[in-house]
Amino acid sequence: MIKTAAVLLSTLLVSSSISAHTLWLVPSHYVLSKHDSWVSVDASAANMTFVPDKGIGLTSLKLYLPDGKVQDVTSVYQGKRKSMADVQLAGDGTYKLEMANPLRFFTSYELNGERKRLMANKQERTAQLPAGATKVETTQMRSRNFAYITVNSPTDTVVKLQGAGLEISSNLHPADVVAEESLELVFNLDGKPRAGVKGVLSYEGELYRNDAGRVEFETGADGRFSFTPQTAGRYLVEASYAAETASTLADKVRESVTYTFEVALP
Amino acid sequence: MKLTWALLVVCATAVCWHSAATAAQSNIKLELPAIETSQYHRPYVAVWVENAQQQPVKLIALWVEKPDWLKDLRRFWRKIGRSNTALVDAVSGATQKPGSYTLQWDAKDDSGAALSAGRYTLFVEAAREQGGRSLVKHEFNLPAQGAVIDIAAEGELGAVKATIR
Repeated sequence: MIKTAAVLLSTLLVSSSISAHTLWLVPSHYVLSKHDSWVSVDASAANMTFVPDKGIGLTSLKLYLPDGKVQDVTSVYQGKRKSMADVQLAGDGTYKLEMANPLRFFTSYELNGERKRLMANKQERTAQLPAGATKVETTQMRSRNFAYITVNSPTDTVVKLQGAGLEISSNLHPADVVAEESLELVFNLDGKPRAGVKGVLSYEGELYRNDAGRVEFETGADGRFSFTPQTAGRYLVEASYAAETASTLADKVRESVTYTFEVALP
Repeated sequence: MKLTWALLVVCATAVCWHSAATAAQSNIKLELPAIETSQYHRPYVAVWVENAQQQPVKLIALWVEKPDWLKDLRRFWRKIGRSNTALVDAVSGATQKPGSYTLQWDAKDDSGAALSAGRYTLFVEAAREQGGRSLVKHEFNLPAQGAVIDIAAEGELGAVKATIR
């Protein structure tokens, strides 16, 4: 039980450190040419890109349809090393798979020299903090893990920015990313390009090469990270943003995303 | 089967008969190599032309079977297949066994209009189930006046030889 809690905590805190386990969603297919196709989705929390390590609960996994409607994904299995979900994609267009944790608030404090935390925002914490608590700090957290799948003609509805939290926009539709062609990812916070977003780009096959080939980046004022993938395959971008905030609910904000996508052959 | 039927319709119309008789046709000869393997499936093949902006202007041939695997013709799928179902339906024909095939093209676009002068690229892509995928291309100019295209054999494709008129 304690172990489970520790694992849970580490996945919750994944954004705080790039070296911690990274949670990703990898659909069996990113591009399909037939209606009603099934896609199996692998999900794991792992250190090595696309080498499964720990299965995760998929209760919050959702499928956004090309028209923007959202479906719960109920066909799920949690394994030891990875979890799996099955989704069937009825019609044409671009779908989004997303596992998102809504805004959560953690208040950490020190009591008799020991660090403790409780689930409360700045307004709620007053009533819950024990007497004598020091170094009190509330962090607002949110994470998103997502991937797009396109059946026949690509569409934009589920790719558009929602304007809340950390999101990624791009010069290319996810179904148009091709090896040897430049890809530009823009990291937006609450709908606007954001400086200071830190991230890592990696791609499959790390287990079978000495040089992992990871690229670390931090966005400038234009929120942009550009690169040219040299090889086709499946890629992962993990990114997070942390800052002080002056909100009435939190002292700090921490947003994190992981995004997997396919780089096609030219 | 579909291809045969389409050809019959084309030949039956007087307009096409006229244009075929007067306009020079480009010949595109391609080979599907015999590949020794325990599990041979006929390759899916697409032959098309893109303009200088890498936009497709003419789908010349498409040999496929089931929609599931159309996406494996990666470039064809991105450029044409995924968004132009009507064209795919109109042009597609059955997959072919290894051998030599000659395609005809009248230097017109998908809607039957003559292509303007400029730079174009001929693409041939082949993908085989439980096999490989090959994409070859060659630039040419229009008007071509008998320009010869010669592409060496590669993987799933034998040599491609074309005379563009």
